[in-house]
Amino acid sequence: MTGFIALEMRRSLRDVRYLVIAVAMPIGLYLLFTGLYGARGQRAQGLPQPAELMIAMIAYGAMWAVFSATGPRIAHERAIGWTRHLRVTPLTPAAALSGKLLTALAAALPAMALVALTAVASHHVQLSAAQWLAMLAAMWAGVLPLALLGLAIGYFAADEIAFPLTMALYFALGALGGLWMPLSTMPLTMQDIGQALPSNSVAELGWRIAGGQASMPRAVLVLTAWTLGSGLSALFAYRRRAIRSAS
Amino acid sequence: MASVRTDPIPPPLLEPGTPQRTAAEDRLAVWSAGLAKSYGSTVALAGLDLQVAAGETVALLGPNGAGKTTTIGLLLGLLAPGRGQVRVYGRPPSQAVAAGLVGAMLQDAGLMPGVRVGELLAMVRGLYPRPLPLDELVGLADLGSLLRRRADRLSGGQAQRVRFAAAIAGDPLLLILDEPTAAMDVQARRNFWRQIHGFASQGRTVLFATHYLHEADDAADRVVVIAAGRKIADGPPAEIKADFGDQQVRFTLIQGSPELLDALDGVRAVEQDHSRVTLHSGDTDATVRSLISSGLRWSGLEVGGLDLETSFLRLLGDRT
Repeated sequence: MTGFIALEMRRSLRDVRYLVIAVAMPIGLYLLFTGLYGARGQRAQGLPQPAELMIAMIAYGAMWAVFSATGPRIAHERAIGWTRHLRVTPLTPAAALSGKLLTALAAALPAMALVALTAVASHHVQLSAAQWLAMLAAMWAGVLPLALLGLAIGYFAADEIAFPLTMALYFALGALGGLWMPLSTMPLTMQDIGQALPSNSVAELGWRIAGGQASMPRAVLVLTAWTLGSGLSALFAYRRRAIRSAS
Repeated sequence: MASVRTDPIPPPLLEPGTPQRTAAEDRLAVWSAGLAKSYGSTVALAGLDLQVAAGETVALLGPNGAGKTTTIGLLLGLLAPGRGQVRVYGRPPSQAVAAGLVGAMLQDAGLMPGVRVGELLAMVRGLYPRPLPLDELVGLADLGSLLRRRADRLSGGQAQRVRFAAAIAGDPLLLILDEPTAAMDVQARRNFWRQIHGFASQGRTVLFATHYLHEADDAADRVVVIAAGRKIADGPPAEIKADFGDQQVRFTLIQGSPELLDALDGVRAVEQDHSRVTLHSGDTDATVRSLISSGLRWSGLEVGGLDLETSFLRLLGDRT
């Protein structure tokens, strides 16, 4: 199984869609937004603009990283029959599924780290070592429901619609989740919706830790609920496919 | 039909986890009894008894929709049987697959996209407890220069070789192939069966589904014919061919008594249209040999057969 995960990861690092959308785009958007909104001034959580935007873009990049390694890829593998071939190897379904999940989570790390490095290099964002560590760890754990959501899409959706569907979801979760513009600039209803989204909650974890606020019950609650919902959907979708795959 | 082999008494069924196994059971690569599967009201398989001894190459022959792919799905644990039982090397199929005893080439099964062939095969080998050495795998599947190519950018024939390599990478005792040559041209087919022979000659068991009688005839030690979800024949290829591929010998009779035609070896029926004679034969080789030594004068010899589809229809008609 380690070989399976290692190869999946190597494949992610060569995947142009992953590299462009998950790695290059958040970096580009970070530089664009810090340029547009100015490097000074404050947004939500009382963080300096460059730090606050950095966290938003870390969440944004991590989100596409886990989506790209799951939804479109799994749907495509199902369509071309690679999934079926794997099922007649000693790789157990549980190992195949958890391998996909681990690969997706691993793919988030370079995307997250590179946005952080860009922020440090371009705008000298400063956090304590403990804050960096806690922030990245919490946000990384926070993308779990998004990875599970990607798995669910991969096993539910047909190959042709998995990519546009994932892409639409990615933009919607980014925009509505306050990663492009702060939720505080939106109407109240939109703010309520935004706060219930996993994208906003992942960023919220980072903002709170970077802002020195330890308590973040809402974000944790939202992410736990999404983890349960997405996890169950993924399992249901997977089992549905497994039963039908050999017909 | 004289050549259809009746099944020997099946061995006592082994419950999973039963420690004692007889040597005879261990030697059976595949054993099924009353294996049945339906999809809703559609019966895909209606009670199949199948035995494949270790080291045998067996063809599962039948027209489209006969139940071949369903049988293979059941043998690989991809499907759960509706009724009946199936064992692969004495184990439930999914356990045999998990133990790396089985390799398979499924119909339309693709390769992992985005990686090189060499990387793909290294990963697949890593899934098995005792994989084939890489150089042996490269030789058996004729991979040559393909190892550095992207697995999703191969021609049809190249992809087929890599799929074969992925199926045998774990050095399985049993290789299962579902219509492996469906998309191949004649040359690719010939090469493919040469590779299968190379693999099978090392004592492995091969079970393949096909709807080509000549392919079953060329490649298999034994042919199991299924149609409409039932086994309708089981025997050596020559017997199956005699029963199913109604072969014909045609020629123009120039001189000699037509009464002699009935007495030629292998002849089952004689048709005559003026001087053009059609002999229906169970063994065209023998018929032609005895025709040559018969003293009859003839010209324009043709040897041919009915296609399998027609044979199946005829046979199913006989049975019902």
